[in-house]
Amino acid sequence: MIIGEQKPFDEIWEMVKDHKQLLVFGCNTCVAVCHQGGNKEAEILASLLRMRATQEEIDIDIINGGIERQCEHPFFESAKDLLDKSEAVLSLACGIGVQFVAEKYMNTPVYPALNTTFLGDVKADGLYTEKCQACGDCVLGVTGGVCPVSRCCKRIFNGPCGGSSNGKCEISKDLDCAWQLVVDRLEALGKMDDYEKLAPVKDWSKDRAGGPRSFKLEDF
Amino acid sequence: MIGVNPERVEFYNLSAAQGPRWAEICTEFTEKIITMGPSPIWFALQKKKQSAETEKQFA
Amino acid sequence: MEIKTNSKLEKVLKNGYMAVTSECGPPRSSDSAGIIKKGHLIKDHVDCINITDNQTSVTRLCSLAACIHLKNEGLEPALQMVCRDRNRIALQSDILGAASFGINSILCLSGDHQSFGDHPSSQNVFDLDSMQLIQTARYMRDEGKFLGGDEIKEPPNLFVGAAANPFADPFHIRVPRLAKKIAAGAEFIQTQCVYNLDKFELWMKGVVERGLHEKVFILPGITPMRSVGMAKYMARAVPGMDVPKELIDRLSGVPKDKQAEEGITIAVEAIERLKECTGVKGFHIMAIEWEEKVPEIVERSGLYPRPDVG
Repeated sequence: MIIGEQKPFDEIWEMVKDHKQLLVFGCNTCVAVCHQGGNKEAEILASLLRMRATQEEIDIDIINGGIERQCEHPFFESAKDLLDKSEAVLSLACGIGVQFVAEKYMNTPVYPALNTTFLGDVKADGLYTEKCQACGDCVLGVTGGVCPVSRCCKRIFNGPCGGSSNGKCEISKDLDCAWQLVVDRLEALGKMDDYEKLAPVKDWSKDRAGGPRSFKLEDF
Repeated sequence: MIGVNPERVEFYNLSAAQGPRWAEICTEFTEKIITMGPSPIWFALQKKKQSAETEKQFA
Repeated sequence: MEIKTNSKLEKVLKNGYMAVTSECGPPRSSDSAGIIKKGHLIKDHVDCINITDNQTSVTRLCSLAACIHLKNEGLEPALQMVCRDRNRIALQSDILGAASFGINSILCLSGDHQSFGDHPSSQNVFDLDSMQLIQTARYMRDEGKFLGGDEIKEPPNLFVGAAANPFADPFHIRVPRLAKKIAAGAEFIQTQCVYNLDKFELWMKGVVERGLHEKVFILPGITPMRSVGMAKYMARAVPGMDVPKELIDRLSGVPKDKQAEEGITIAVEAIERLKECTGVKGFHIMAIEWEEKVPEIVERSGLYPRPDVG
């Protein structure tokens, strides 16, 4: 799922403080899972902003709200009135949601409360780790289910490099070497012969490099 | 980030059956807050109220 | 053995001699005088001089330009190329550039991560990895085509090498990894510096078992220790480095002003021992910022003078 982290409070405050009215708008799907941007977090953030505004003797009418997902049109129905009369929106959604709101409300400034960081899993409660880079050409079938694009800091397809040490990546002792994991998996699956197969050169045009991607279903 | 002393917030864990402990915590904490005095938010709100009243007077 | 390029290294190796190579790091400046001076210091004691490519991700005068400077001085440089900073267009382009100046050898590497260097916020490229770069260099030379399939009018004729690190983990795939690099087209291998001779010989045993020593020329890396401080630093902070405790103890047991000398002796002893190791075809002496010691190491190891292979 999409993981994001709330921006530092001071940064958020600087973005919104000059408005007279503000809607703090939560998104209750992905960013609620990591407790950064859900409707509950929107309520808390709104409260913090009010406290700051009071102390700095700045008058802003701050209201909070939220919807299930800020990336699909139908969910916006329930918040239509709220958004129509907002001078500015502080969206706690991921970058996708922020842009979606901006597109729907061309004349309303929309600010991101989060830094959208990565696509990842919930490894444990409160621990999210990057697992996918949306490269558009999945090789998980040949790497024993470990992604070299998102989990190897050099996205090597024929790894490991010479910096792998005790199963850890050269850039940090806290980072598992993805290729150590690949080798472990291939061994467990009895597929070590696959290790010596040379992975072909990647077609990065299917990735971000080829430009913004879109996908259209013919039957719609 | 909002100028409030973190000591003003405390999390305690107890069950509904711990009546005496609950009373103890309330007393303890109230005494603590009284010593700390009003929060900066209270001061700011007072100031806001006062200036609103002053404006009304002159209106 | 058929000689395919004009590389002096290839000629030395294929004529059955022990090869000696070394490496120099370019300056962090637009003044090439330093690298030229280093080249001249060692030119008679080595068969070719590798020029590092923004090593440790620290921005330096580029390897290609430094190689051209050395070539213009009549020396034999080898281009080191990492995959971190350039995409396949730039890599192939630089290979053509190198070939156009008569640079004869290339070493294909992944490259240290940029977080180690002076620009940790930079993007990294890794369009290709080192295996794919080896394949590309061979493809350009032997098929005369770009990766995309178009013909190259005058294909680059480079002797293609790669690195190997028998001391990185996991150990049990380090021989299969060498096999992979050979399958990708590597013609010579320079290894990470060898201090743990037992482990290196163990790796070589695996290499020889698979007959890989006959398919590629292996040159173990030799880096003399200047001090016990350097030994401790390398043991602690350099990824993929194996510095045995005995070596650190040996250096500690010697007074500070004698440690450099002891480091050179250790290097010479390593060379003498590895000369006897089946499959070792030469040595890659890396004395970065200490290039003036290379001639001494080569002479004391009985590898001087260098053969004249025309």
